[in-house]
Amino acid sequence: MTQMNMEIEAGAAPRPWLSSRRKQQLAGWLFLAPAIAYLLFAFALPIVYNVMLSFEHTSPATIANFTAPFAGLANYRAVFQDPTSREAIVRTFEFTFLSLLFQFIIGFALALLFSMRFPGRTFARSLIIVPWLLPLIVTGVIFRFLFQAEGGAINQVLTNVGLTDHPIQWLNDPNLAFWTILVANVWLGIPFFTLLLYSALQDVPVEVKEAAVIDGAGAWQRLRLVIVPIILPVIEVTLLLGFVFTVKVFDLVIGLTGGGPANSTQLITTWSYNLSFQVFSFGQGAALNNVLLALALICSPMYLWLSRSSLQRSRGADT
Amino acid sequence: MRWLCTLGAGVALVIVLFPVYAIIVGSFESTETLFSGTFYWLPHAATFDNYRTVLQGSSASTQQTVGGSQLGHVMTSLIVGLGTALLALVVAVPAAYALSKYRMRVTVLLVSGLLVAQIVPSIVLATSLFIVFHWIHLVNTYPALILADGTYAIPFAILVLRAFFFSLPNELVDAARVDGASEWTTFKLIVLPLARSAVITVAVFAFLAGWGDFIFALTILNGAGIEPITLGIYSYLGNYSTDWGAVMASAVVALVPAAVLLVVAQRYIASGLTAGSVKG
Repeated sequence: MTQMNMEIEAGAAPRPWLSSRRKQQLAGWLFLAPAIAYLLFAFALPIVYNVMLSFEHTSPATIANFTAPFAGLANYRAVFQDPTSREAIVRTFEFTFLSLLFQFIIGFALALLFSMRFPGRTFARSLIIVPWLLPLIVTGVIFRFLFQAEGGAINQVLTNVGLTDHPIQWLNDPNLAFWTILVANVWLGIPFFTLLLYSALQDVPVEVKEAAVIDGAGAWQRLRLVIVPIILPVIEVTLLLGFVFTVKVFDLVIGLTGGGPANSTQLITTWSYNLSFQVFSFGQGAALNNVLLALALICSPMYLWLSRSSLQRSRGADT
Repeated sequence: MRWLCTLGAGVALVIVLFPVYAIIVGSFESTETLFSGTFYWLPHAATFDNYRTVLQGSSASTQQTVGGSQLGHVMTSLIVGLGTALLALVVAVPAAYALSKYRMRVTVLLVSGLLVAQIVPSIVLATSLFIVFHWIHLVNTYPALILADGTYAIPFAILVLRAFFFSLPNELVDAARVDGASEWTTFKLIVLPLARSAVITVAVFAFLAGWGDFIFALTILNGAGIEPITLGIYSYLGNYSTDWGAVMASAVVALVPAAVLLVVAQRYIASGLTAGSVKG
């Protein structure tokens, strides 16, 4: 840091005003240097290396060498021929679609609720974010506890209400376990959807809402024809980010089901972990990772487009 | 009507908070209660045994899945959380300043890169980073874990801080320059003190990211030596039987920082949650 200081001052010493443009460029680059170095190391390098790995014949022994013999498309072929991988890819889509659907409906309903004036709303709004602050592995563990067949709260409620007379094997039945990770993930996403949609609703001008009332629009019409069009950009960003968060989900599933029973809750992330770190087939893990990365990056053009105002924003014309 | 809304919000809160309540109650139950096959809505024969197991490493239950104290794990997680916060600030604050108050050719490219970086799934990075760290002999070290955990915090931190720096008038920086302050002095003495609240927001989120990280701890640490609390919980889960008392007591310990920060830094958390995405 002192070095940076000296360089800047040295550059500035002889003729401050003439060199100020270059001095600022230099300072700007120095301010950016740590971030650029970090992005190259922690994002660019792993992503490039992951692509390399996916075309290599890896084995536990090759890790020490950084590179392994070229394998062509063998890893991708292996991944796409493996039924568990294929199911994990399809399941990731189902999981993401259903999560977003329920998170959006519940989040929007709560956002509308919190937009009303009622006693205790500030208090309620500050507590609604709790699920978001928990470590994800803790959330997984909590739901594993709640979904236990014997002594789990969910079966207890269902029995007390009379919906079932025998304990449902949520976590042991391959047909049911998917619903446990879905419920847990919907729960997890509620604060995010609620808060973002709530803050968007706050930005709808009161006059617009009043005008709609004067024009005789009912509550449903006001929502559909006035409010939703105004907050549509935020809805898009929220769904987009929700999509990105959901395809990444990992800790939650490991804590809740560990991908089981019989791989019935494996998502791309958990199965990729399994391939790389349980079977030590890093090449296949990397190939599946790239499928996931492609899936996530589909969103990036849209995300950049939605963020364009922030992107194009730079220092005013006075420099 | 207003009270109906309160009622609705109350029901929503009960559903949202119940899982957290359940685990706190469960952490005070005895092993016999936990394995009795009945779920108790209120504490039933409360005991501190689970916390004793977890904090001292001595087991009160009949079968002990894992030994070892979680206190060490708490310390490890604190170091990782603070390290992640520190790394995020050192990298993000100057970068965000340059990306908002300097005219640079790379600005659009870098900000696009940061937006895309937020999208990249951690497991993609974890697989490669494990081998890279293995290669440079950093596996199983704090620096490796903190560098990896920075991937959660740094893109977010730069974008949030950048949005904040835009709200500072350019004249402020120009005035300092006219007065002869160097670029570094302007940043350190004029800009940094004004950015206090945004810096705290970013630090809080970076800390929580490091504290709660599981993926990188699972992949980059190999079980020998350092082990954060999230891994401690995972190791209590066991393959065949779960020591529920110990699991839940550790889970409650793991959510303490979130609870404390929610009370102490509520303002910063609320602003941070929305800042990154909407205004970003």
